[in-house]
Order: sequence, then structure tokens, then C-alpha cells
Amino acid sequence: MVYKEWIKTRWFVILYAVLGLSFIAYPFLNVQRDFKFSDANNYWYTIMFMGVSYFGSLKFVPVLGALAISVAQYFPETVSKRIKLTFHLPINENRVLLMMMLYGSICLVTCYIIQLAVFLGLSCIYFPSDIVMPAMTSVTPWFLAGFAAYYLAALIVLEPVWKYRMAYLLVTGTFVPLFFQSASTGAYEPVNLALAFLVIIISISLLFSGYRFRKGEM
Amino acid sequence: MSNNAIECNNLTHYYGKKLVYENLNIHVKEGSILGLLGKNGAGKTTTINILNGFLQPRSGECLIYGENTQHLTPKNKSRIGFLIEGHVQYAFMNIHQIEKFYSGFYEKWDNEPYWELMSKLKVTPTQKISTMSCGQRSQVALGLILAQDPDLLILDDFSMGLDPGYRRLFIDYLREYAKSKNKTIFTTSHIIQDMERLIDDVLIMDYNRVLTQRNVHEFMREFKQIALEVENHSIDLSDEDFVANFEKVNNKVEIYTYESASFVKNFLEKNGIVHHNFREVEMGLEDAFIGLTGKY
Repeated sequence: MVYKEWIKTRWFVILYAVLGLSFIAYPFLNVQRDFKFSDANNYWYTIMFMGVSYFGSLKFVPVLGALAISVAQYFPETVSKRIKLTFHLPINENRVLLMMMLYGSICLVTCYIIQLAVFLGLSCIYFPSDIVMPAMTSVTPWFLAGFAAYYLAALIVLEPVWKYRMAYLLVTGTFVPLFFQSASTGAYEPVNLALAFLVIIISISLLFSGYRFRKGEM
Repeated sequence: MSNNAIECNNLTHYYGKKLVYENLNIHVKEGSILGLLGKNGAGKTTTINILNGFLQPRSGECLIYGENTQHLTPKNKSRIGFLIEGHVQYAFMNIHQIEKFYSGFYEKWDNEPYWELMSKLKVTPTQKISTMSCGQRSQVALGLILAQDPDLLILDDFSMGLDPGYRRLFIDYLREYAKSKNKTIFTTSHIIQDMERLIDDVLIMDYNRVLTQRNVHEFMREFKQIALEVENHSIDLSDEDFVANFEKVNNKVEIYTYESASFVKNFLEKNGIVHHNFREVEMGLEDAFIGLTGKY
């Protein structure tokens, strides 16, 4: 099962892993430049007390990568209703979908862990923990949004009826922005756990599209 | 215990308010090859979808090896080879990748027939299935089914998009395989001449009903076309009990019936229907199909 998913998504995963790292590293070029032209203490001060963010450009990196991987993984299944082949494999249909979802989640977790590790490592080079830890708290919902976008894109792509797809798009368009509310650094700390819980709940939403397909909705 | 590989009981299905069929009963004996024939929209693909668990009928049930097709267990699914209309496969893979992928799922996997078929294709090892011709794709799909070594093959319009050479190759391989290994096949095809070479039993569907399900040779022996010319152009025998279908163009009449030519001749004479050039016309399966279902 993993083999098929890998063949579909490998170039997207690899490209995203490479590009994602570039995007993560990019803001630190600015940080390095600012460090050169102004005193580090002043720069830290602007971050800690004036709300300047050095990582704002990362905001949509997790979501865009997740969308690309989700579409690359699920769209080929819908072409000529190829999902029928997948459901016909000698595995329980829900289990097949959960395995596909798990594969995508592992790809994202791997990419995100690398990105967060690089982000954390580079942040620690330039900033004290008083800046780094709130920054990690602030980027967490963006990465959670990546998972949400991946699961909801799977739900939308696998849905056999356009009318329902539109409804799911509307739900997605309402739900995903919750992760991107403008807030001061670290402000998401009280809700990150709740958002993570919501993401876990929607992770199995693709089962509903699969069920509707198997019941012959079209 | 029933030796039916497939058993559909009182199957009723609607699309919205449009009735597809009502109380349809189908059975396919183990080891037989059944061809499902019907005009466009008669419900062939609907039946295939119900059989594969991709459509829930409004009422009734289909059983494959005794299991409801809405809840087939993985073990039972591994006994079923499924060919999707248009020979759809994972087109993003090449022939090596797809064989490797499927081989992990089936205990009885035997790649020999697959590679035998692949050796006939002029494709490169890394060529993606999406770049192959329809005929080549059909051989990939067939090779995978043969390698799976299923007990039951469900083939949805296997001849779609194939040129005569590939169709013949497909049918000859399939029939030889099925008969030598006692496999069951349930198939549909738009090209009925192909069915004639392949099937043992025929099931002909019209809108909302089954017209016949029987051994194809019996059907061809018993179902007859009588052609004649009548003097009275307004004559219409379509309501007579013995007439399965009645076609008329000017004074030229075709009567399709399960009765003998002498029975029809007697009927015409007894009822004073003046006619000449009365003859029984030899039919192929396609002629018989059109004779039974009508030209439109």
C-alpha cells in the first residue's frame, strides 16, 4: 500500500521537503542581515516588546505543502474512478483509506519535524529561549493547519458529488483560517492543544467520502 | 449448498425516481462464463457496480460465494478479479511497479502469465501505463487478473477501445484460462460477436427486466428469426404470445420467436395472413440479441 502511495507522491514529497527547508531558512537571511546592521539586543527588543515577527513568511508553508501532497495522493484515485481498484484490494475498505491517510500524515510529520528542527536550530543560533519558545508556539498552529488542510483536501477530492465538494470547501474555508488568526507571538498557546484535538478528529473524515462512494453516490 | 458463484435475489434499483430494474434474479454457476448483454442504460454497469460493492441496491441482495457484496470480506475479495470498464489501472505506475504492488496482496500470485503477456507488448520497462495504447493497457489489466489467479472474474465491457486483434487475443487467453482452471466469469461487452466466442450462458436485459438467461447454445438453437413478405402492410403480430419481437419495414416482416418455423407457418395460414418468401434466417448472437431486444 505504501509503495503505491509513494509512487504517486514521491516527487511532491521530495520537492516539498527541499523547498520547505528553503522557505524555513529564508527568513534567517533577513535575521542575519538585521543583525549585521543593528545591534542584536535592539533587534531582540523589537521582537519581544514591539511585536515584530521574524518568521511571518513561514505562515502558509505547511498548508501549501500539505495541499500539494494531498492532491497528489488522492486525485489520481479519482481519475476514471480508480479508487474502485483500491477498494477492491483484499483489505477492508476503511482500513485502506486509513492506511492512505496514515501514509500522508507520516510524510507530513517527517517534513514538518525536519522543518521545525531547522527552524528551532536556526532560531537558537540567533535568539534566546525567551524569543524562541513563543516563536515555536506561534508556528505550531500553522503546522496544525497543514494537517487540517491535508485531511480536508482528502475529504473533498474523494467526495463523488460536486455539490458536497462545494459544501466541504465552504467548511474548510471557515475552519482552516482559525489557525491563522492574527495574534501576538505566543498567543496561540492556550488553544494549540484544542486545535490539535480538532485536527485528530477530522483526520478520519475521508472515511465519509469513501463510504459515500461505496454506496454509489454520484 | 448452492454451487453458484454469484446469486442476486430480487434486486431492485432506482436512480432517483427512474427504475433501473425490479426484482432481478441472476445466478452464475461456478465454472461457467456468463455474458450480460443489454442496450445502453439497461443496467449492465449498475449490476457490475452492485456486484463489486460500489452501489447499494434499493432492495434485494447480491451474494458472491455466499457473502453479501455490500460487505465482502478481504478473503472473498481476493477470490475476485475485477476489470473496470476501459481497462482502468494505476496508470502512474509502469509494468514492473504495478506487478510488484499487486503481488503483495494475493497469496496465489503467479507472475508467469503476466510476464508472458507483457512480453508480447512493445513497451519499455519504465514506460508508464498512462502512455500505453488502449490495447496495451488491456493486456496489462488482463495479465494482472491472470496473475492474481482469482476464482471469479468480473469484467466490465472488456472489449471497449480494443482493435480486433487485441480483442481476439484477450478472448482466447481468457477462455483458455477459465476453462483449464475451472474459473467463473461474469462479463459484459458492447461487442457481441466477442461474446459468442467466450461465453457459456447469456443473460439478456432490457429496460427494467431480464429477457432471457440460459445456455447460449440452447438460446441460439431455440431462438429463431422468420423473415417473410406480407401483402397486408398493416399487419401487426407483436401482441401474439409466440412472438418475442416483431419488426416490419413496408411489407418485409421479421418475426423473432422460440417456436418452430412450422408453428409460425401454420399460424399464418390458420389466420389467413397472405405471405410469401417465408424463410428461417440463420442468426449470430448479435442478430439474436437485436432480434430479442428490438432495433431501438
